[in-house]
Amino acid sequence: MQRYSGFGLVKHALSHHENWERQWRNPTPKKQYDVIIVGGGGHGLATAYYLAKEFGVKNVAVIEKGWLGGGNTARNTTIVRSNYLWDEAAALYEHAMKLWEGLSQDLNYNVMFSQRGVLNLGHTLQDMRDIQRRVNANRLNGIDGEVLDAKGVQELVPIMDCSKNARYPVMGASWQPRAGVARHDAVAWGYARGADAHGVDILQQTEVTGFKIRDGQIYGVHTNRGDIEAKTVGCVAAGNSSVLAKMGGFNLPLESHPLQALVSEPIKPILDTVVMSNHVHGYISQSDKGDLVIGAGIDGYNGYGQRGSYPTVEHTLQAIVEMFPIFSRVRMNRQWGGIVDTCPDACPIISKTPVKGLYFNCGWGTGGFKATPGSGHVFAASLAKGEMHPIAEPFSMFRFHSGALIDEHGAAGVAH
Amino acid sequence: MFYIYCPYCGEHREEEEFHPKGQAHIERPKEPEACSDEEWGDYLFFRDNPRGVHHEMWVHAVGCRKFFNVTRHTVSYEILETYKMGEQPSITADSQGPSREAAAVSQKEGVRA
Amino acid sequence: MSNAATFDTRTDTAIPVESPLAYSYRHSGAPRAGSSSRLQLRERAMLGHLILRGGAIVLDEAVRDVLGISLPGQPQALVQDASGERSIQWLSPDEWLVIVPGGEEFPLETQLRERLGDAHFAISDVSGGQTLLELSGEAARELLMKTVVYDVHPSNFPVGKGVTTVFAKATTILRRPSEERWELVVRRSFADYCYRWLLDAAAEYDVNVQP
Repeated sequence: MQRYSGFGLVKHALSHHENWERQWRNPTPKKQYDVIIVGGGGHGLATAYYLAKEFGVKNVAVIEKGWLGGGNTARNTTIVRSNYLWDEAAALYEHAMKLWEGLSQDLNYNVMFSQRGVLNLGHTLQDMRDIQRRVNANRLNGIDGEVLDAKGVQELVPIMDCSKNARYPVMGASWQPRAGVARHDAVAWGYARGADAHGVDILQQTEVTGFKIRDGQIYGVHTNRGDIEAKTVGCVAAGNSSVLAKMGGFNLPLESHPLQALVSEPIKPILDTVVMSNHVHGYISQSDKGDLVIGAGIDGYNGYGQRGSYPTVEHTLQAIVEMFPIFSRVRMNRQWGGIVDTCPDACPIISKTPVKGLYFNCGWGTGGFKATPGSGHVFAASLAKGEMHPIAEPFSMFRFHSGALIDEHGAAGVAH
Repeated sequence: MFYIYCPYCGEHREEEEFHPKGQAHIERPKEPEACSDEEWGDYLFFRDNPRGVHHEMWVHAVGCRKFFNVTRHTVSYEILETYKMGEQPSITADSQGPSREAAAVSQKEGVRA
Repeated sequence: MSNAATFDTRTDTAIPVESPLAYSYRHSGAPRAGSSSRLQLRERAMLGHLILRGGAIVLDEAVRDVLGISLPGQPQALVQDASGERSIQWLSPDEWLVIVPGGEEFPLETQLRERLGDAHFAISDVSGGQTLLELSGEAARELLMKTVVYDVHPSNFPVGKGVTTVFAKATTILRRPSEERWELVVRRSFADYCYRWLLDAAAEYDVNVQP
């Protein structure tokens, strides 16, 4: 792998930047791998990267039916935080947060992780009680967090309407300073380059059409480029997980919903943190380019169309203008949708399945991006050892039979 | 934007008047006490989530406030039929090949997540 | 006679009674306009509103006997008596809204209960929970077009129709009792919001309000 550095940039400038090597190869599929990862988004590529780098499993293929990071990795609003209520979830997201903090160095790829802090606003007394409880729980788990009052919020975000005149006046917020945003595409590309450098085969335009299962044990997949064999298969396919599960002959407790996001025209720097409001129902940050990045709730119906409905767009923008009257005349540039696989308890599924050797990592709903490194790391550990990593253990799909749910609807935030 | 035919109001109404309410035709176990954990968990949490023809409940929340069923394609979002509670769908995944619109959408690039 | 407990909400005691819009008139005013006005807004306060629920056939017989008008069986239908003072509107396959002059609702409820006897039905007096607003004038339809999601073109909304729909994000009943008149039934809790929306939206038509 060609390492990136300032010196390299200067060197390549001398040859007009014509001799950069490709970031990853485009190999032809082998007949057989030790592990197959289905899904070439952030989580899948991270899994492959850690498998090869940390757990010594280098004979790995990532199978992606479209292009790398073309699903929810490219469609989210890039918020990274770890202020979850329950110990199990906090451990998982904080594991990811710690990896985020060293990720650019680890990958030798600038993922533009910017710890600009995230505010979760409270607009009612109950909101504030929930926020206090969550911040206290976070601190007990060693996760940074503070409870701010309205004045504190106003100091952090002077342009927000924190007056009493708002329909739902801001009463305070939880504040996680270590949280922030990252560059979504760079995360996928950085992991892809790193995985490729460790020998992982990344197979794009390759669609899994079925699983090869004998006596309850998986031994490969059917694809549109022929059959590929492996005794361990990990599916990381977000919105399409239910479709894959059906190929495996079982159901998942998932529903796939459209989730929308929008960006505005670029404007000068005005918002240097991330603001989320569950109650008024919207979240917003400003990208390095200057676009306002805006998101809100899912559409209530199931859908694989990667587009959302107009009433949701209207609702989202009403919430943003309610909080930020100053943005009322900003024009929106683009709007799109992703397919989020929501779980009944707003927590993911990282799990073995009824098919031996077949593992699923899904159900991240509206909040998968923030967990990308942690999800990949614990899933890789589980695939390598054949036993679930202790952090992943509580997220078994069988918790919906045992009743050991991890209800994170409060911390999952705006929508789920 | 959906334009939904409410089988009780007898006319098409705007999406804003409705709420989706999840998968249709889920039957509550006759004897919940006799259920195994697995059966009860399946009933509560496990759902059909097809990429294609799907049967779901909607409620005409701002309107007649009746629940009814919708058969809808989850890729093209085309509504294939709506029918009253207690009735059975006349269009199912088996009876329906991929619809024209759905086929067109799935061929379009960028819809292949 | 069913054994439901009923009581007359209008008493002889001197309790001040206010329409759901009383607060709004005090705070937002009631603009008067001259002959240039293209929209008139009039509240018909303190009418009697009853919700009837039950089977259409049973209710129809009782309503015809007691009120002299037949129950509209078709969705979205609105019928009135000859004077136009009493109306019944279809709300749902088992639900109708009856509006009568103020003070008539309790005798009507009592008579209907007697007439219906042991039948399976429910009657709720919702007079205090909502109020009726009349819109007339040449700009009435234009105002509705920018306010409700429902198509109010005469081809889709003839006289004798009534729907429950989204009115500026709130829920209201919208009905058309005659060519030149539209009626809104708004909930007490949304009344101030709807009224202020109407004033704002109708300012360009020089709205004339008759409280």
